[in-house]
Parts: sequence; structure tokens; C-alpha cells
Amino acid sequence: MSPPLEPRVEERLRQIGEADVLVGIPSFNNARTIGHVVKAAAAGLAKYFPDQRGVIVNSDGGSTDGTQELVASVEAAAPAAILVRHPLSVVQKIVTPYHGVPGKGSAFRTIFAIARRLGVKACAVVDSDLRSITPGWIELLLGPVLHEDFDYVAPLYLRHKYDGTITNSIVYPLTRALYGREVRQPIGGDFGFSGRLAAHYLERPVWDSDVARFGIDIWMTTTALADGFRVCEAFLGAKIHDAKDPGADLAAMFVQVVSSVFDLMHVYRERWEPVTGASKVPLFGFPHGVGLEPVAVDVERMQRIFGQATRDLREVWEVALLPEDLEAVTALAGAAPFRFPDPLWVRVVYGFAAAYEHKRLPREQLLRSLVPLYLGRTASFVLETATSGAEEVEQRIATLAEEYVAQKPHLRQRWRDL
Amino acid sequence: MWKDVLADVIQETFAGFRQELGAIGPRLLAMAVILVAGFVVAGAVRLLLRFALRRLGFDRLAERAGLALGLRKVGFAGHPSGALAAATAFFVLAFFVLLALGALDLQLARELVSQAFTYLPQVLVAAALLVLGAVVAGFVRRGVLIAAVNAGLPSARLLAGFAQSALLILFGAMALEHLGVGRQIILISFTVLFGGVVLALSLAFGLAGRDLARELLERLARKGEPPREDPLRHL
Repeated sequence: MSPPLEPRVEERLRQIGEADVLVGIPSFNNARTIGHVVKAAAAGLAKYFPDQRGVIVNSDGGSTDGTQELVASVEAAAPAAILVRHPLSVVQKIVTPYHGVPGKGSAFRTIFAIARRLGVKACAVVDSDLRSITPGWIELLLGPVLHEDFDYVAPLYLRHKYDGTITNSIVYPLTRALYGREVRQPIGGDFGFSGRLAAHYLERPVWDSDVARFGIDIWMTTTALADGFRVCEAFLGAKIHDAKDPGADLAAMFVQVVSSVFDLMHVYRERWEPVTGASKVPLFGFPHGVGLEPVAVDVERMQRIFGQATRDLREVWEVALLPEDLEAVTALAGAAPFRFPDPLWVRVVYGFAAAYEHKRLPREQLLRSLVPLYLGRTASFVLETATSGAEEVEQRIATLAEEYVAQKPHLRQRWRDL
Repeated sequence: MWKDVLADVIQETFAGFRQELGAIGPRLLAMAVILVAGFVVAGAVRLLLRFALRRLGFDRLAERAGLALGLRKVGFAGHPSGALAAATAFFVLAFFVLLALGALDLQLARELVSQAFTYLPQVLVAAALLVLGAVVAGFVRRGVLIAAVNAGLPSARLLAGFAQSALLILFGAMALEHLGVGRQIILISFTVLFGGVVLALSLAFGLAGRDLARELLERLARKGEPPREDPLRHL
């Protein structure tokens, strides 16, 4: 079902009629950066898709810093300096507020609806706080859909070895083990997708749920994988964007991400249960390495919280963990060298997934109690890979992902038995 | 002569006893029957309720609400469904005991039964308040404990225990207030106890946890400043 659109947006859609490619930019108070994103998107459409009718849609959540006005005033015509061919048509712009539950998901819903109304063949969505986006991103996100008939393009970014620890230790390996496809960054934030997948998303009954507020990224990736759409990856290089609120509560962020993954496990149980093994998806772009400047990680604090939790949270953990796993986790505190073994970590995640499914505790409390275990696991990972290069670290994460696959029978059993 | 008098007295005594027995005997029998029936019904209620509650997933619900943990802490090792079934059976049995006493048709028994039935709704509401209090206190305790551990506060258990105790005291006082037991005494006791606990904790926090207090105050003072960036990007 489509969300309501404002009369002036309806009028604009009538004027445009049809389009071939669309770039959606969700925003909320991003006046500082969105101008650059709009320019990059317009240049990308003009440079790489000069034969296609292109539209840029800004779906805004009620910004008060002039984001909408700024997008409207940005000159969408691409700079001649980067063009070797003149585009056949001018890139159109639509600036619209979105309606419904406040959140990135609702912004995307409006973009999907406009994509369907315009009958576009390929869409991309990019974050409005990006500083490293180039016109090449638009080609990499739309090209595989338009030219190779893929339905979903997941991003692959250049990242520091300690970036994305929730992704690396839970979201990526779990998604890979569940659905059998290797999407390295399932919650990247910038995606490409086909018009038919946009229509499919629009029809899913999720727009009053948490998907509308947060969790849209993993929902899009999982839906594409579980519902059998053709998925690939595109290497976009480094992702530099405005820092999300660094003071934001880790536990709250952790709960949002992990609950989204666990909720989808409930929805797609019949899809993931029979899946065994995992395979790579095609990759577009030109991957290259990354420098490893030192990052000051407070490992001691992580270990301290983990150690305290092994004393104070046993009564909570025992609803999710098998007695032998609980003992093994407790024994880790104070051990030297401090190491959280892969098999134990995977059993912990699977145990919590099953306890979450069976509502063994109020879900938010259950997931918040997983945070100290995650910190323990992250501390172990940082200590273990302190001197490792990017490739070694990637290999280490691949080994963990294999462990998730190997222990999937354990997940099935816990899911049934708990 | 005295033998005849003795025989008359004994005969009269036995006659009176027979008369009394004739009058009260059926009542005693009825009382016994009601008591036996009470035991049977209470037992059946216990069995059926335990079975039904388990089938309905009550134990899981109690685990989620923290009730099971509370029961374990007071030494009840069985399932929460068993505890609820036993408590209900006890109430059923108590009801039959009152009926049995009523069957005696004694002034005292009549008054007792009448008072008990008048008082019953208040007892039930008070019991409900206590159960609700235990559930809410268990939930809050666990929430405070997890949040405090995640914040790296070393006194997480103390904070969680305080939150739980404060709520249990509050709900206990409400239950007693509802029963009308020494209202003034309860109010004064609660005020003194609550104030005392808060004062003790404040002193303990300020003296024993001086460093922690300073850190927390510094954190509060830093709230207006731009936050320091976490070197790890978790997503």
C-alpha cells in the first residue's frame, strides 16, 4: 500500500510522468552535507546514465535547518567538466516530506512509492550525511540493476579493521548462515534495487512496525535474500559521513540492530531453517586495501564490564544459555590471555536468538544483557588482531562466519527446544 | 438414697448429652463432610490449575516477569504454576473451612464466617497488590541491574536491590493500607524506613563511593559539552 503524497508532489509526478532511474535521499536536518550528495547524485546520473530519464527524490522527516530548501535550490545540472556526453534529459528533483512513523524506513517508503508511480527500472538510496560520495557510486549502485538484471545491490565499503564490530561479529555472519548468501555489509545504508523490488518492499506489511523507525537496512537486505531476488555487491570505497551522535547509548543502538535481525528470523523461519552452507554473491567495482592507522580502543573497560557481568548477570543469562555455555563464559573472566572463542560466541548468539524468539524475558532487557557479552567478544577480537593486517582480520571474520554456518544445527535445535 | 440421686444425676447428664449430641451431631457430621469435600476440591483445583497453567505457558510468563526468580529467592524451588495452584488450593480449602465452621451454627462461628466473607475482597485485593508488586519490583530490579552493569557501575547489585526493595516496601505498605491494618503505624513506619534507606544509601554513596560519585557528577557536568567520540564504530 502506498503512503499518501502531498498534492504538490502528486502534481510534480504528473508533470514528470515516467522515469527510468531514481536516486532517493532520506534526510533529517542534513543541510550541512546534503548539497554535496545531491550534486554527486545528479552528476552520477548525467555522467553514467545520459540516455535514461533520471529523478532525484529527497524524502525529508521535517527538517528545521533548511534541508528541503537547500535541496530545492541545488543546481541539479551536472558540471560539464566531468561529462563526456551531454545527457538527453535534465535530471528532475522532487522534494517531499514523508508521512507515517518518524524514521528512515518511512522516508524509504515514500521513495519506493514514487519509484513505483514513475515506473522506474532502477533505484538507489544514499545517506544524506555522506562526505565521500562520488558520481561513481551512482553507477555502481544502479549499473548492476540496469545492465545486469540484478534486483539488489548491497554496498561494500573500505573500512578500518575495527569498524563495524556489531556487523562483523553478529549481523554479517548470522545473515550469511541464515540465508546462505555472503553479503559482507548487510546494514551499509546505501543500496541499489530494481523497480520490481521497490514494489515488493512497498507491499510488505511492515510500515507501522519498527522497520519504519529503524532497521530498514537489514530488512531490505534480508527481504531481498529471503524472497529470492538476485543480489550482488558493489565496492564503493571509503564511507565518510558525519559522525552519528557519538554520545548515543551503545546498548540502545545494539538493541535496535540485533532486534531487527532476530525479528526477521521469526518472519523468515521457513526460509532459513532448511538452508545449509553459504555462497558468495557477485561483486562489482574494484576493491582495494585500506591503511591501518592505530585506533585507541579501551579494551580494559570492555573487559571490566564483561567481568562484572559474569558475576552480576548470571541470573539473566541462564534463561538464554545452556548451563555448560554459561560456565564457559564465566570462566573467561580474568583468564589470561583473554580470548572469547568463536564456537562459544556463536552458541551465545544462537542461545539469545532462541530466547528472544520464545520471549524468555522482556526482549529489550534480554538484548541489553547481551551487550556485556558483545563487549567481551569485541575486546577479545581487538586483542587477538592487534598486530594483524586488513587481510588477516578479514580472514579471521570469515572463520567466524564459517563457525556460524557449522553450528546452524545447534540453532535449529535451540529454536525448537527452548 | 444417695445412690438414687447419683443415678438420676448421671441419667440426666447422659440424657442432656444425648440431647445435645442429637442437636449438634448432624452439624458435626456436616462439618466433617464439608471438610473432606474441601480437601478433595482443593486437591482437584490444585491439580487442574497446575496442569492448565503449564499448558498456557504461565511458567514462561512468570520467568519473563521475574516472578520465578523472586520465588526461587524466597526458597521455592518448584514451578511458578505449582506455587499459584497451591495458593489457590489453600484459598479454596480456607473457604471450605469457613463453610464447615458455619455448619456448626454457633454464634462465634457465624460471626467468624460473616467477618471473613466481608473481609475477603480486601484480602484478595491486598494479595493482588503483593503479586503485582513482586512482578514490578522484579522487572525493575533486572532493568536497573542490566543498565548499571552496562554503564560499568561497580555497585550494580546494590542499586538493583535498592530499587526492588523500595518497590516491595511500597506495594507491601499499599497492601497493608488496603487491609486497614494500623494505618497510622504503617504510614509512619514506611516514611521512617524509606527515608532511612535513602539517607543510608546517600551516605554510603558519598562516603564509600566517593570516586564513583565524583565520576558521575563529572559526567553530568560534561553533558553540555560536545560528546567525546567512541573510537569504535560498532555498525
